[in-house]
Amino acid sequence: MQESPTLSFGLQIQPQSRMVSIVRRFVEESFEKIVGDPEAVFRVSLAVHELLENAAKYAVGDKTGLSVHFESNGSAASITLTNQTTPEHIERLRACIAEIQASDEPVALYRDMMRRTFGIQEESGLGLARIRAEGELNLSLEIDGCMVTIVASCLPTRRTPA
Amino acid sequence: MSNDWVESMRENDFTAQATTTNRRIQVSLTGTADLTVKTQLDHFLHEVHTEAQRCLAEEVTVDVRQLEFMNSSCLKSFVWWISTVQEQTGDGKYRIVFVSSPSMYWQRRSLNALACLANEIISVQA
Repeated sequence: MQESPTLSFGLQIQPQSRMVSIVRRFVEESFEKIVGDPEAVFRVSLAVHELLENAAKYAVGDKTGLSVHFESNGSAASITLTNQTTPEHIERLRACIAEIQASDEPVALYRDMMRRTFGIQEESGLGLARIRAEGELNLSLEIDGCMVTIVASCLPTRRTPA
Repeated sequence: MSNDWVESMRENDFTAQATTTNRRIQVSLTGTADLTVKTQLDHFLHEVHTEAQRCLAEEVTVDVRQLEFMNSSCLKSFVWWISTVQEQTGDGKYRIVFVSSPSMYWQRRSLNALACLANEIISVQA
C-alpha cells in the first residue's frame, strides 16, 4: 500500500481583512499544483477563508495561528485556526458550533441559517455553517481561557489494500 | 432599445456593474467579493433593487462567471436582496437569474443554496 504524502504549512499572521484573500489564494495556488482534486482544494481554501475572516472580525490581539494539513490525494485535510477573543464571542462560537455538530443535515441547517440572517447585522455563524455544508468538513472547538482553536477537518477515506 | 441607467463600483479587484435595457437589468460581478467590499456590495444591491422597482423590471441577470470567490458576508448581502424581492407583491416582484461558471467551484454550491431560498424567483444557469 502506497501512502499519500501529506502537505502542511503553518502561518502566524495579523488577522486583517485584506490578508484573508491573499492567504486563500496562496493555499489554492500551492495545493492545486500538487493535489489532483481541484474541488478538494476549493473545500480547504473555503474553510481557510471563512475561518480567517472570523479571526479578522472577532480576534483580540495581533496574532492568529493558521495551520493546514492536506493529503495530496485529497482524501484527508485539516485546517486549524487559533486566536484570542472575547468571552462574548466565545459563547456565541460555542453555541454555533454545538448547533452545527448536532445537525444531521448540514445543508438544511446552512439554508436555515441563511434565512435567519435576513434583517440582522450581528454575528450569524453563517461562515461556519458554510464550511460544514459546502466544504463538507467537520468542525470542533477547543477553548483555553480567552484562546480559541477551531479545527475544520475531514476523515481519510478508507484505502483499498494494494 | 433604451439603456438609461448605469451603476458601477470598484474596490480592490472587485467590480460590479449594472445596466438597464427595456425592463431587464444586467448585472456583472468580477474579482473577489470578500469582507473588504461588503459595505459597497450592500449599497450596490440596494441601488439595483431600487432601479428594478423604478423600471418595473421583469428580470435581473447576474453574471458571476468571472467572480472568483464570494465570502459568507457577501452571500448575506444576496440573502437580503432575494428576501426583499420575495416580499414584494405584484409588479414589484422580479426574477433573478444567476449566470455561473462550472470552473468556479464555489458557485455551484453557494448559488444552489441561494436559489433554495426562493425557487419561484431564482434560477441558476451554468
